[in-house]
Amino acid sequence: MSQWLKQVIDRGQAIDDWLSPLRAQALEALGNTKWPNRRVESWKYTSLAPLEQLELSPSTTAGKAIIEDIEGLNSLDLIFVNGKLQSDISLLSLPQGLHISSLLDASDKQQNTANALFAKIKPQRHLFGLVNDALAEDGLIIDIDANSKIEQPIRIVNISSDGQESHHRVLVRLGSHASATVIEHGQGEQASLSTGFAEYDIGEQAYLEHYRLAMHTHQAIHIGGDHFSLQQKAQLNSTLIAYGSELSRMDVDIIHNGEHAKAKFNAIYLLGEAENFDLHSTIEHVMPNGTTKENARGIVGDKAKAVFNGRIHIHRNAQKTLAELHNRNLLLSRRGQINTKPELEIYADDVLCAHGATVAETEEETLYYLLSRGISRSQALVMLNFGFIQELVEQMPNQHLAQWLKPQLHSRFVEMEVK
Amino acid sequence: MLKINNLHASVEQKEILKGLNLDIKPGEVHAIMGPNGAGKSTLGFILSGREGYEVSEGQVEFNGEDLLDMAIEERARKGLFLAFQYPVEIPGVSNMAFMKESVNAIREQRGETPLTATEFLKKAKEACKQVQLSLDFLKRGVNEGFSGGEKKRNEIMQMILLEPSLCILDESDSGLDIDALQVVANGVNSQRDGKRSFIIITHYQRLLDYIKPDYVHILANGKVVKSGDASLATDVEKEGYAFLGQDNAEETNA
Repeated sequence: MSQWLKQVIDRGQAIDDWLSPLRAQALEALGNTKWPNRRVESWKYTSLAPLEQLELSPSTTAGKAIIEDIEGLNSLDLIFVNGKLQSDISLLSLPQGLHISSLLDASDKQQNTANALFAKIKPQRHLFGLVNDALAEDGLIIDIDANSKIEQPIRIVNISSDGQESHHRVLVRLGSHASATVIEHGQGEQASLSTGFAEYDIGEQAYLEHYRLAMHTHQAIHIGGDHFSLQQKAQLNSTLIAYGSELSRMDVDIIHNGEHAKAKFNAIYLLGEAENFDLHSTIEHVMPNGTTKENARGIVGDKAKAVFNGRIHIHRNAQKTLAELHNRNLLLSRRGQINTKPELEIYADDVLCAHGATVAETEEETLYYLLSRGISRSQALVMLNFGFIQELVEQMPNQHLAQWLKPQLHSRFVEMEVK
Repeated sequence: MLKINNLHASVEQKEILKGLNLDIKPGEVHAIMGPNGAGKSTLGFILSGREGYEVSEGQVEFNGEDLLDMAIEERARKGLFLAFQYPVEIPGVSNMAFMKESVNAIREQRGETPLTATEFLKKAKEACKQVQLSLDFLKRGVNEGFSGGEKKRNEIMQMILLEPSLCILDESDSGLDIDALQVVANGVNSQRDGKRSFIIITHYQRLLDYIKPDYVHILANGKVVKSGDASLATDVEKEGYAFLGQDNAEETNA
């Protein structure tokens, strides 16, 4: 067993809190887990070496953090610094039907909610999900009453700072016919490790609008996941924006546990320099009549490396499923690397599925069209390649967030382009 | 304005233009007609600078400068405009952003200040109305989901906005119904000011009923085989390209 994993187990066993009984299962599973190497399929293209080389201490200090306001968003902000909640929930004026508490001081009722969610939606196979089970002491429990339409977006920010290790957990339940918007926003540049996993139980006919902004760069290692369970006629619209860092990995699971559920998942990754980003998504159609649309698009420049593994699993009972998965990539440099693998596993016979993956360079004909209108080559490349991403940004239901993101993505792209 | 002298060009080692000569003076409208495969579109592509065409012999002078030596975008900035037969669709890039970028690149070349968003919008709206496209087309992705006729009108709209000195229209009439044809023709005619020159590439005489050319050239087998005034187009319409003879017919079918 790796030293790293061993110290995780030791630390996990030493934690004594109300979540301890829930952690036991993860600790046991971790004890039986082999440290992944390149022969393990789910880690085939992403090396864990940067993680093993890090010398970190579990976060003890947590400074105050000032976060940028997103114009027009008017969000309820919950700020974590190195996995520790800085915001005073009692000072927030929560709309009716919305209940938020920290994992640290959850009431009995909230603990019950958490018990029903913790490690219940997230599959056990995610190694760092288990690490998060074992070590996440702080986090949030968000409970939305049935029929409550929460207009104000809930924004959860986690900032990683130099030399710190942190693990936080988000548990969200939407009652039937409820609706809400949740934004998970992570950032950090300096040598650090953060894991952040979230589990969402989307009730009958409930609607969740979700964003994951994984904006860690440079030496900030981030491994996280979003796991969604959709009940009957539930709807999910989720967008993932990812930058790359020394090691950056996201696992997303969308599980159709009720009939007639609809899921839309868009992912955008923009990688430059020697950045890495690895996205593994799994869509489980357990029940019939479900719909999934997944679109992942990435641009990879310089020596960066992207991994996309998208799996759709249609169970025997899931007749009349409509599922689509597309992954499109644009490679800006000969030294960049994209490893993409869409997987369809179908056990029902009456379904409509499509999948595809492409890796392309800029199309000459399109470039020619722009040049023939006097636009410079460099500007044309920015317009074309960014257009490919912009299409997905424009599909984001929250226009304030889209407006805030566009210039950032644009300038990141321009930097990638010139290098 | 434009002087083409003994132009030979090939694509993928196949010679398409075989000694083409053309002299276009300011304000003139030249129609280039000819059978399929004669090299009409190739001429447009070579003048605009598309890659993949090898010029083995001959010269092209544009306002006294060597055109073939210029980059694609340089030609456009110096006043050459090609309206494409098959404009590409570019989802994700709005028509408006694209045209603003283009207009300002050309204004910069002319030493003019870039247009602000408001100034550009005003001009774009006018041009849009002129080619009878609804204003929604400004917001959509470049040519994205446009019908054949809408794409052609979008090309004419760009021509109006960019104010080029030489406009090359590559089969801007193909696939158009009579109403759309008139819109395209009116767009072109509105830009005739005695200084701006036009090369109208077309297979049929139909467009020339609306845009009256000063000269008509018949291009066959990579050369201009016959030149005349507007009446030549009418002759071709009546008699077809049969007069070109057996040699050319074979080339065309090949």
